[in-house]
Amino acid sequence: MSKTDEVPHRFSKQGFSLEKAIRFFFASNAGLTIVILVLIIAFLLKEGLGFFPGYRRELEVYRIAGLEFVDLSRSNLTAHEQLSSVLNRAYFAQINGLCASELKRSQEAAAVFNAYSERSAATHDLIVSNLDAGIAPDSEMLATLRQNHAASTRKALAELPATPHLTRAERAALIQSIATREVSSKDDPPLVTALAAQYAAAQQTHAEPLAGLRGTLDAFDAAGTDLSALVSEMTVAVTATKEAIQAGDVLEKNRTTLVAAAAHAKTPAAREKLLADAQTSLAAKTDIDGPMQALMLRKPACIAAHADLRQACAGILDGLPAALSQPEAERLLRVARKAIPAFMANLEQAPQRIGQWRHDTPVPLTAAIGSFLTGKDWVTGGEWQDFYGILPLLVGSLMISLVALCLAIPAGVGAAIYVNQFASRLEQAVIKPVIEFIQAIPSVVLGFIGILVFGSVLRDISQFDSLAWVPGFPIEERLNIFTAGCLLALMSIPTIFTLAEDALNNVPAAYAEASDALGASRIQTSFRVIIPAAFSGILAAVLLGLGRVIGETMVVLLVAGNRIKIPDFSSGIGAFLQPSHTLTGIIAQELGEVPLGSVHYRALFVVGILLFAIVLGINATAHKFVSRSRH
Amino acid sequence: MNNPESLIRTGLPKGHGKDLAVRVLLAAGTYLIVIIAALLFCKIIKDGAPVLFTTKAPYVDLGFLLDKNETLHVFDDAQGQRHQLPASKYSEYVKHHAGATIYNEQTFSYSGGGIIGPIVGTVLLTVGSMVLALFFGVSAAIYLSEYARQSPFIHAVRLAILNLAGIPSIVFGLFGFSVFVLAVPVITSTPADRSLLILPLFFGDAVLSFQGWNSSLMAGCATLACMILPVIITASEESLRAVPQGFRDAALAMGATRWQAIRTCVLPFSIPGILTSSLLAITRVAGETAPIMFTAAVAAKDDLPWQALANPFDLLASQVQALPYHIYTLAARIPASEYTQRAQYGSVFVFLILVASLSFGSMLLRAKLRSKLKW
Amino acid sequence: MVTDLPPPAAPLPAAIRIADLCFAYHAKPALQQITLDLPAHQITALIGPSGCGKSTLLRCINRINDRIPGARITAGSIHIHGIDINRPDIDLQELRRRVGMVFQKSNPFPKSIYENVVFSLRLSGIHKRSELDATAETALHAAALWDEVKDRLHTRALGLSGGQQQRLCIARAIASQPDILLMDEPCAALDPIATLKIEELLHQLKKQYTIVIVTHSMAQATRCADHTAFMDLGRLIEFRPTLQLFNTPHHPQTLAYVTGSFG
Repeated sequence: MSKTDEVPHRFSKQGFSLEKAIRFFFASNAGLTIVILVLIIAFLLKEGLGFFPGYRRELEVYRIAGLEFVDLSRSNLTAHEQLSSVLNRAYFAQINGLCASELKRSQEAAAVFNAYSERSAATHDLIVSNLDAGIAPDSEMLATLRQNHAASTRKALAELPATPHLTRAERAALIQSIATREVSSKDDPPLVTALAAQYAAAQQTHAEPLAGLRGTLDAFDAAGTDLSALVSEMTVAVTATKEAIQAGDVLEKNRTTLVAAAAHAKTPAAREKLLADAQTSLAAKTDIDGPMQALMLRKPACIAAHADLRQACAGILDGLPAALSQPEAERLLRVARKAIPAFMANLEQAPQRIGQWRHDTPVPLTAAIGSFLTGKDWVTGGEWQDFYGILPLLVGSLMISLVALCLAIPAGVGAAIYVNQFASRLEQAVIKPVIEFIQAIPSVVLGFIGILVFGSVLRDISQFDSLAWVPGFPIEERLNIFTAGCLLALMSIPTIFTLAEDALNNVPAAYAEASDALGASRIQTSFRVIIPAAFSGILAAVLLGLGRVIGETMVVLLVAGNRIKIPDFSSGIGAFLQPSHTLTGIIAQELGEVPLGSVHYRALFVVGILLFAIVLGINATAHKFVSRSRH
Repeated sequence: MNNPESLIRTGLPKGHGKDLAVRVLLAAGTYLIVIIAALLFCKIIKDGAPVLFTTKAPYVDLGFLLDKNETLHVFDDAQGQRHQLPASKYSEYVKHHAGATIYNEQTFSYSGGGIIGPIVGTVLLTVGSMVLALFFGVSAAIYLSEYARQSPFIHAVRLAILNLAGIPSIVFGLFGFSVFVLAVPVITSTPADRSLLILPLFFGDAVLSFQGWNSSLMAGCATLACMILPVIITASEESLRAVPQGFRDAALAMGATRWQAIRTCVLPFSIPGILTSSLLAITRVAGETAPIMFTAAVAAKDDLPWQALANPFDLLASQVQALPYHIYTLAARIPASEYTQRAQYGSVFVFLILVASLSFGSMLLRAKLRSKLKW
Repeated sequence: MVTDLPPPAAPLPAAIRIADLCFAYHAKPALQQITLDLPAHQITALIGPSGCGKSTLLRCINRINDRIPGARITAGSIHIHGIDINRPDIDLQELRRRVGMVFQKSNPFPKSIYENVVFSLRLSGIHKRSELDATAETALHAAALWDEVKDRLHTRALGLSGGQQQRLCIARAIASQPDILLMDEPCAALDPIATLKIEELLHQLKKQYTIVIVTHSMAQATRCADHTAFMDLGRLIEFRPTLQLFNTPHHPQTLAYVTGSFG
């Protein structure tokens, strides 16, 4: 019997069946996850990869228009200004430190008066405006207004800020003078004036011994004038060139689009019209050589200005005092001392760099990639030049994660150990749901709490005199890396806690029994047997927590302070109290505002790719540890 | 045995102090977390509850829940009386007191009126995305737990689920923006310039244009559904696997087809479990801000989503307000002052109550199911 | 060493005296009025059907039952060399160090072989390398494992075979130089060859330690034990030198059990 003649057994099925269709339906839904992941990667890459050529062109324009040339001088000028600012801050920190008591007394008195003025401004202004409008002084309405004002004054006086540096009598006198103040009076209360005068006098007294330093600083400040004038002059010229080049780019792009559209046009007439449009859009080639030659003529002037600046600044190190008595002043002085040699070295090299700079050095694609990965500036929407350097964002994200993990690891793992090893049944029944419930709080709510509650509390705490020794205190910005880190720690504690507790739970009971039978005490069993056995599981928990922290958006967007700058590490650990921006935050903040398809838009997608890669790497490592921890 | 007396200790057990210290330290850390969490809730309840609840019947400020969101006007009248009115009442006031001078006027965007718009928007987004995610997620889970054998395809699916679960929500936002807002196909007669690809459809003017759905309810739902899909799949698969193998064997042994066995002997028993874990997923969907920022949410909108629509399908194509985005706007986009606090704390309080009741509900349900469904 | 002496007054010095011991999990009694003197430097086997309380009794001797919530001794006492081990001022860790225990399922820690053996030394704060090395070697020799593992002391203990793991657990237990070794069905999960090795080991160890072994296998009891106690339903039915118990049981229940017609 040949094969084709074979009669199918009656149990066997052939061809299409409903069962197969159902199975295929479910399989295709499972395959959907792969499709989504592939789509995510594909579209991130599609939007992101165009960034590098676009950025390369921007950097090229930056060079051929001469902006880069101007920046050679400008960077030194900026360094000079910053140095000058640090030195001046040191000078004033010294003086203000010496008359700290007068300063605080004056500030506190002024703060009391300001608090009062703010709270009673509405009723006060109402009376004044009515009086100005010529209302009768004895009218009923004015009396009501006065009553209202008296009430708001009483309310304001009941809630004045504390004045730890004023004596009780002084405070009473101040309040008295405010309470009895005429509505029309424009003068400050006498105590405020007197304390301000005292402060000014103290300032003057303490400034006298520093007259020498003042002179040095003034000379230093003045040294930059020539270069500054030159730079502003060149800036105008190169900006014009840049705009011309960009306008040319736009026209060229329009033309290409029109030509492409003409190719698809339906009727010959429409094609003709499009081609004609394209013809008009053909830009006259932007003249870059002319302005560049003009710019190159300034080279000698630039070099000369640098030489002058260098000469004027040469003595600055010797002109500074050996030490200053106030800690903040001394710190700033040290910062300046450290920065001066680099500044002088840059000045020394500047003439050579300016001399060697050429506008026609090609900009390779690697330069764009390098500038993205190692750039210290993320400047967008500026009039001068946009830079897309990832470092400030990356550093911000990492520092916030570091703070968060430093808090969340001890807290989360500690809580897991406590609940798993030591807590009673009742404690477990209370603690576990509470910590799991934290996980359900939406991140935007946490961010909200961070802004309105936590940041303010932290700033108030940092202003206690007794805490002045803490580095970075008193904090300048209530929204900073530390605040964001604390909130993210709170967010990641449930993740770390739950997973670490699972890991501890999965350690076989036989280990604990064996350890007990060998004479180990409770904590010896926990710390020498159970925790080491659960270690890779705990590590995975921490890594997954880290993944969550780095990928979190809303909290950092609301609470990190959003300043795109690498924190100033010269203040040591105080760098963690400065505001910062993050990889996630920058996407959330800027994506809504950028033109589609622009270099900036694409840069945000590259940040997204980076974020995706980082988090995926962390999670993959974590899952490796998880599979290792199966007992 | 030499010296059996050494079994008897003198004084406290060895290492007692250390033991105590470790315990106290760990307990202190643990309770610190609990206390911080409690303080947070107390703070929000303290500031938020007065906004929502009133001392008079019906004890709830329905206006805050049911009014539209408006700009808040704060001003003094000539008597020095301070008024806080939402924009609509403000214009009424001005009409009423024509000619009266108004002093110290300040306006606060988004701070007046109620929050019905954001509440409705969040509900629509949540329902839409959960419907999508449950449909696709449960189907995928059925395949994984009932049909799948070891194969490269299954391996790839599991890897994809694992990776999708770890992707940060802002990356989902980027994905949703570039795919659902800008690239998915629509049928239209007037394709946009930015369309990636235009395919003719051979009836009328209509073409299939890959130009995306714009920022709209459906783009937001699709993005959120993609984000929550791995959670739903994992949870559903777990529930399906919890149904004893014997149920399936019994059904198959009686001649049921595989699908009949699943439909009658597996799905009914796993649905409670699937629904419980989806409740937890809802809290996540409702709370996410980053994925909807660019795909669906809008800060201010005059009409409720279903008002002023040309046809019902436009509901899906329109932008909506959303509670988390509203809170973000209130917290970050407008200057804080005592007049914005009502809107801020009130929204946060309502939102937290919503999320808390969902997650509390799922906890209760889970506990109840655990005791009920045992085999 | 099996003796034919009449049972009631065993002249051997008793290492463990159990008197009228009653034990309960919550309200459920598990042991009732057990009175038993376990002689020093002998092997005593506890036999009986499943759930008869033999493991519970064994686990009372080093008070490892304290780990189980709701488990407590309701009456009676256990004395080890004259010390009541249920006194409130007993040093529990010291007790467990002096009364080693080996479990039914081998349970080495997920550490190296070496670290497993010196675990109890590290617990008592001994970290001197030479001392640890010496103890590890002695203990592994005593457990007849040294030759098999001496070249891979620092590899993972979980990589050993089942019998090796169980002998490692014995080495770990004797590293703290106990006086008494409790073994809870140490061969239950092992193949016959590994079982034989452990039984040989028991004969060696008896010279130094008082050994109490719970076993399901009557053959094992006859092969190893000097004395055997038969328990049923939480009561001690009969306790006599092994051969006597098996050959001429006094109690009909014992007879039924040893002849295999039990239950």
